[in-house]
Parts: sequence; structure tokens; C-alpha cells
Amino acid sequence: MAEHYDAIVIGCGPGGSFFAKTAAKKGMNVVVLEKKKDLGSPVRCGEGIATQWDASYGLPLNEKSIAMKIDAAMAIAPNGTTFKMGGEGAVVERKIFDKFLAIDAARAGAHILPKTLVTDLVRENGKIVGVKAKRFGEEIEFRAPLVVSAEGMENTIARKAGMKVQHTLYDTDVCYEYEMANVPCEPIIELFFGNRISPRGYVWIFPKAKDVANVGIGVGGETGADPKALLDAFIRERPERFKHAEIIEVKGGDISVGASSEQLVQDNFMVIGTAAHMVDPIHGGGMGLAITAGKIAAEVAAEAHERKDYSRDALVRYEKEWHAGEGATMLKRLKLRKTMEGLSDDDLNFIFENVDGKDAGKLMDGDFKPIVARLLIKRPSLLKVVKSLM
Amino acid sequence: MTHKVDKSKCFYCGGCVSLCPFTALTLVETNVVCDESKCTKCGICVKGCPARAIRVE
Repeated sequence: MAEHYDAIVIGCGPGGSFFAKTAAKKGMNVVVLEKKKDLGSPVRCGEGIATQWDASYGLPLNEKSIAMKIDAAMAIAPNGTTFKMGGEGAVVERKIFDKFLAIDAARAGAHILPKTLVTDLVRENGKIVGVKAKRFGEEIEFRAPLVVSAEGMENTIARKAGMKVQHTLYDTDVCYEYEMANVPCEPIIELFFGNRISPRGYVWIFPKAKDVANVGIGVGGETGADPKALLDAFIRERPERFKHAEIIEVKGGDISVGASSEQLVQDNFMVIGTAAHMVDPIHGGGMGLAITAGKIAAEVAAEAHERKDYSRDALVRYEKEWHAGEGATMLKRLKLRKTMEGLSDDDLNFIFENVDGKDAGKLMDGDFKPIVARLLIKRPSLLKVVKSLM
Repeated sequence: MTHKVDKSKCFYCGGCVSLCPFTALTLVETNVVCDESKCTKCGICVKGCPARAIRVE
């Protein structure tokens, strides 16, 4: 016996839920299969999100899911030099945020099935026609002309479908995080850079209340650095800030920091969000990108559904729109990330002393040349590191 | 057994599942299950584990 739907979504994170909500609103019968019994747990991220999605995606951030509203980000060099970037955002409570998005999808008519582990694809004559899953000791088959991988980092089914989405250690950051009480905070996201503090990554302090914060670290996977040891050292070296701090939760995980996957669709199959490496290579944020991808993919899927054509050709507009928009921005930021990898702590100090938040905004947008040129006049030795930005 | 997970350290984050080039690993709630017939002992999961909970021998 098989259950039949118009689309099967694997994974009930922000991307999966948003796809399901959007597709259900357009009249599709969608089921979301989630392997865990709890949504949003275990938390594997800093929980920060920019809030520009609020309006454009009809995503009123549920007040209950917001831990703290943020109005700026501060980047800190190894020697303590800082610059601030404006930008509204929030640090959310993922366990509530994810659940709220799933409830939103269910209200739109989508079906959500937690504790349902997808084990394999079902194919007929080579064509993907559904998935096999295990649920409460039962093997169930789900059938649909469209399967959507919103699997997150663990993109096993997408790989089984033949998508080239394998993660590599080089393009992965390994993260460790404490949620801590009694840490004084402003409504500002703090990012600490430096090769000694965090090789090929950064330490973050994301406030969840005026005295509560996620204090975490991401290190380049290939560096072999132990994130916990480095995070403990960071905290130990700042006794004035952390003298009363108490660890109330321990979190961690791996996150992609490379380019988004080139191929995002094939016949009867789409991949969205972190499963397709849609994570910002600089700050490691993935929720907003997953929601964006979920929305575009669902609109394209609804058109395919109307025409009853789920071929790659029918779905490819999603892939094209992605790479013309967010995908292209990600490539610029990846260039920036790779350049930062080559900078010594002394170079980082110099750069932080010579740029402000406005410059940083331009760099994040891929407008490298004027700023790089200005830096090179003062420090020509940077050329070998930054030449890829010229 | 060649792939061992120290459950006192493991976060069940699935990082190892993501990185395994041979799709040998599956995360089932609080268990990381290794299909030993697929594991090549490459050690990528060991390096990618945030909690340093995996040993491959």
C-alpha cells in the first residue's frame, strides 16, 4: 500500500516548511516527512536571521520564536579593532521558529509527518516515483510525481537521486556552541575573526536576551582544529565578559560554506536549502536562503503541477532563478571567504583599521575593487592574497 | 566494529552523515548507524565531528 501526494518534501526545516506552505497554498497536496520526533532540535546553529524576509515572504516572524531583535553586526579583528554594519535581524529560538513554520504550512493545507525516516527513493523504469520510509516500526511507501530534498546537511537521499551535492571537509565549517546565561549583551551580533581564535572561521556571540547568548565557533573542516578547545580558550581569555557565565545548553554541527550546488533539479526531483549548499560562505547563515529557495521552488513546482509535467525542463526555472540571484551573490562571498583564508592576523588587523561598516557592506555585495585598491596603496604586500578580488 | 561513536560526546547533529562520501552513515534520532559494508575507514567523519566523538579503527 502506498500513500499518494502531488509532492513529497524530505525534511521539515525552514526550507521544507516554506516549500510546503507555498505549494499547498497553490493547491498542491504536499506531505513533509521529518525523521525526528521534534522539530528544530537538536539546534545546530547560531540562530541568527536577517528579517528582510518578514515582509517579502509573508513570513511574519512569530513573536514567540524571536529571542532578541538585532540592529547591527560588529566584526572584531584579532587586536580588538572593530567595525559595525547596520542591518535588522533577530536571534530566534529554533525549536519554536521551526515548529511555527511547520504549523504555518499545516494551516495552508500541507501534511506534516514527524518521526518518519526516509530510507530510499522508489523508482519505476529508472524514473523517481516516490520514497520508502520507516515510521513507528512500519515500512511505508509514499508516491508522488515530485520529490523535494530539503534534507539539510544530511543530503543522503539527494545523493541517492544522483544529485552532485556531496559535502567536502574543505567547504565545511565544524561548529561548537554554548548557550550561556549571565553574559552581558547589547542587541548586536558580534563576530570575532583571527587565525589563532578560529582558523578559517570565526567566533560568534549572538544575544538571546540582555544577559543570554549563543557563544559559538566554526572552524574550517580541513584545518583539523578542535572547535571545543578553541571556544573554551576564547571564553577563558575573556574573564571580564564571562566571569559569571553559565552554560545552559551545548550545541554543534557542521555547516557548508562553499558555493550552492550547480544542478538543483532533475526529472521528478528538486533540492533546496542547505541540502543544496545554500548557506552564506561568509557568515554561515542558511535559514533565509532556504526559505527563499523554498518559495521559488514551490512556485515552479506549482506550475509543473498544473501542466502535469515534472521533467527537468519543467522545473529548471527554479535552478536558473537561483543562480541568477542568491547563487551569484554566494559566489562573490565565496571569493571573499577564500581571500580571507590567506590573510594573517596582522593583515586582518590592518584591514579592520582601514575599513568601516559601509566598506564591509560593499565587500559583501561583491563590490571589491575600490576598497581593495585603497588597501593596496597602503599595504602592497597584500597583493598576492587579494589579487583574485581585482 | 570499525566505526565507533562515543555517545557521551555525540550531539546527534548528523555532521558525519553529511560528510561521509560513501553514504555509509544514517542518523536515527540519537543513534548514528554505520553500514560497515560501505565504510572505507577514510576518517572524514572523524575530522568533521564537532564533538570529537567518532573513532574509526
